[in-house]
Amino acid sequence: MFLYYLRLSALSYKRNPILSSLMVLAVAIGIGAYMVIYTLNYTMGGNPIPQKSAQLFHVQLDTGDPNRDNDAPEQLTYLDSMALLDAKRAQRQTASSKFTAIVEPANPEIRPMITNNRGVMADFFPMFDVPFLYGGGWDSSSDDSLEQVVVLSREMNERLYGGADSVGENLVMNGEVFRVVGVLDDWQPIPKFYDVNNGPFDPGEDLLVPWHHIVDKNYGRAGNTNCWKAIDGTGLQAFLNSECTWIQFWVELPNGGEEQAYLDFLNSYAAEQKQLGRFGRPLNNALFDVEEWMVEQEVLPDETQILSALAAMLLAVCLLNTIGLLLSKFLGKSAEIGVRQALGAHKGSLFIQHVIEAGFIGLLGGLLGLGVAALGLEGIKVLLGQEVMVTDWIQLNVPVVFVTIVLAIASTIVAGLYPIWRACNVNPAIHLKTQ
Amino acid sequence: MLQMTDVSKVFRTELVETHALKNLSLTVNEGEFVTITGPSGCGKTTFLNIAGLLETMTSGEYLLDGVNVSQLSDYQRAKLRNQKIGFIFQSFNLMPDLNLFDNIDVPLRYRGMRAGERKQRIDRALESVGLLARKKHLPAQLSGGQQQRVAIARALVGDPLFLLADEPTGNLDSNTAKGVMELLQEINKAGTTIIMVTHDQELANQSPRNIHILDGSISDTSDATGSRTTSAVDAVA
Repeated sequence: MFLYYLRLSALSYKRNPILSSLMVLAVAIGIGAYMVIYTLNYTMGGNPIPQKSAQLFHVQLDTGDPNRDNDAPEQLTYLDSMALLDAKRAQRQTASSKFTAIVEPANPEIRPMITNNRGVMADFFPMFDVPFLYGGGWDSSSDDSLEQVVVLSREMNERLYGGADSVGENLVMNGEVFRVVGVLDDWQPIPKFYDVNNGPFDPGEDLLVPWHHIVDKNYGRAGNTNCWKAIDGTGLQAFLNSECTWIQFWVELPNGGEEQAYLDFLNSYAAEQKQLGRFGRPLNNALFDVEEWMVEQEVLPDETQILSALAAMLLAVCLLNTIGLLLSKFLGKSAEIGVRQALGAHKGSLFIQHVIEAGFIGLLGGLLGLGVAALGLEGIKVLLGQEVMVTDWIQLNVPVVFVTIVLAIASTIVAGLYPIWRACNVNPAIHLKTQ
Repeated sequence: MLQMTDVSKVFRTELVETHALKNLSLTVNEGEFVTITGPSGCGKTTFLNIAGLLETMTSGEYLLDGVNVSQLSDYQRAKLRNQKIGFIFQSFNLMPDLNLFDNIDVPLRYRGMRAGERKQRIDRALESVGLLARKKHLPAQLSGGQQQRVAIARALVGDPLFLLADEPTGNLDSNTAKGVMELLQEINKAGTTIIMVTHDQELANQSPRNIHILDGSISDTSDATGSRTTSAVDAVA
C-alpha cells in the first residue's frame, strides 16, 4: 500500500500543482535556512578527532597574575613547557607553536615565499592520528638532536614538488637546509583543536618542524603571546625566562585513571614552583579533553545560537504556513475521502495515506531545501571569504543531507497532523451526495 | 440479509432537532430489487447512508447479514462496507485523476487483494459493463452513462451482498437512464440484491418492490403483483 499511497500523493500534487508547489516552497525555505545554520553548527561544533578525543588533554597551568581575578592562561610559558617535556609523565606529549619562515624553493621558477609553520614534537603525529601521503613524522631523537627535518603539507608539496614524493629532498628555510621526511595527506581538522586560541578555523600549516628549532633558531613566532608581567631584561633568553605564555601543550593519557595522576603531577609541579616565587594564585591547574577544551574556549560563538533560534523561528513560520495550505488541500479532498470511505477505507488507512502525502511534500521540500541550503552556504563563503578563515569545510555533506531530508519529512508530517485529522473525520455522507 | 428494526436518526444542532428517520423497520431479503421513493427531505438518503454504514443511527437495531452493526468500530464498519456493500451514486463519484482500471481497483486495494486477482476481477467487471477496451481512459473522457457504468463495475467488483444506489439515473438523460436501469436489472437477475433510491416513479414501478418514505417513516409499500400496503411504521417483505 505504501507505493500505492505514494502514487496517490504524486497524483494529488499534479491535481493541485500551485497549492502543492507553495507548500514545497514554504518547506524548502524553512528547511534550507535552518540547514545553513545547522551545517555551520554541525561542522564548527563537531568533534574533530572522535576516535581519540577523550584521551587527548590540553594542559592548563594557572601562571596568571595573582593580583587579578581573570581566567587562567590558555597557553604555557617556555619554562613550564620545558619542565613538562623533561618530566615525560605522559605516554605522549607535545609542545606546539606557530612561526613564520621564508622558504626558498629549489626550482628557480618558483619564487621564495613566506610560509606559516608549526613547531611540534615527534609525538604530535601519532597523538593526533595525522595522516601521511608520503613518508612520516620524525622520531624523538630528532627532537633532542635538533635534526633539521621537515614535514610538508600536501598543498606545499604540490607547490614545491608538483605533488611528487618529496621525501629525502632538501628544503631551504630561512637559509638553512631541512630534509623532507614526510608529506601530509589532506588534514584539516575542524575546528583546529590543537590550537583553537590562534583561530579554530584557520588553515593548516605549510610546514612542521621539531619544536625546539623555534627557540634554537629564534624563528619569528606567530600567534598569540600573552604576558601579564613585564619581561625582566631584553633578548631571547629574557623572553624565555618570562611569564609570557605562547605554547600550546597537549598530552595523551590513554588509560583510565591517568588523568588524575597527571593532574596531581601538575599540582605538585605548581607547588614546587610556588616555593620558587612563581604560580602566585591558588592551585587552579586543569586538563581538558578535546571536547571540553572546545567548550571551554567557546569555539562555537554565541552568535550561532542566536542564528539557530532565528532559523528555527523561520522554519516554524514556514511550517505554520504549510499547516494552512495542507488544511486547504486536504479539506478540498473531502469528496474523495468520502468516496474512499464508502469503498472500504477506514480512518486509519486514510490517516496513513495522508501522512504519506504530507511526507511526500516534505520530501520534495527537503530536496529543494538542499538547493536553498547549498546556495545559502555559498553565500556565507562569499561573506566570510578565504582571507578571514578557511571556508572549504562549509559545505553540505552526507550527514547534513540526511538530516535535511529527514527533518523536512518529519516536520511536514507534524505540520500535517491537524489537517490530516480534520480530513479523516469528514462526514462521508455529506460529500457523497454533493460531489 | 438486511434487517432494520425501529431505526431512528436525529440530527441535532444547538437550535434545532431534525428527525430524519422515525422508527423505521424494514427487511430486505437476498435477491430482491427494492426501490425507495419519497419526496425530497423525507429521509431516503439518510436511510441509504445508515444501510451503507456511512451514518450511525440514533436508536434501533440494524442487522446486516446477521451482524448487529450498532456496536461496531470504524474499522469493522469499513471492513463490512468493503466486503458486503457496493455503492452507486447519482454523480458517479469516480476519482478524476485515476483511470477506469484504477478507479475500480480502489475497493480491492482496501481488501488487501493480490495484484493478479485484482486485475482479473477488474477486467471482468469492466467487460460486464462493456468498457474493457477503455480501461486506461480517465473518467472525463467518458459520457455520463459510461461513467455510471464504471461506477457500477466498481460497486460490483468486490462481489458484494447488495448494491445501494442513490438516484443512479438522476444525472442521465432518459435513454441513458433506461440503459443503466436495464443493466441494474440484469445484475439483479444474476443474483445481486439492489436497494435503489429514486425520485422517478416510472423507474420505481419497474422494480418488484417499492417502498415509499414520508417524513422519515415508511408510508406504504407495493410489490410486483400490484398489492399495496399502507403503514406508518412497518413494511416487512
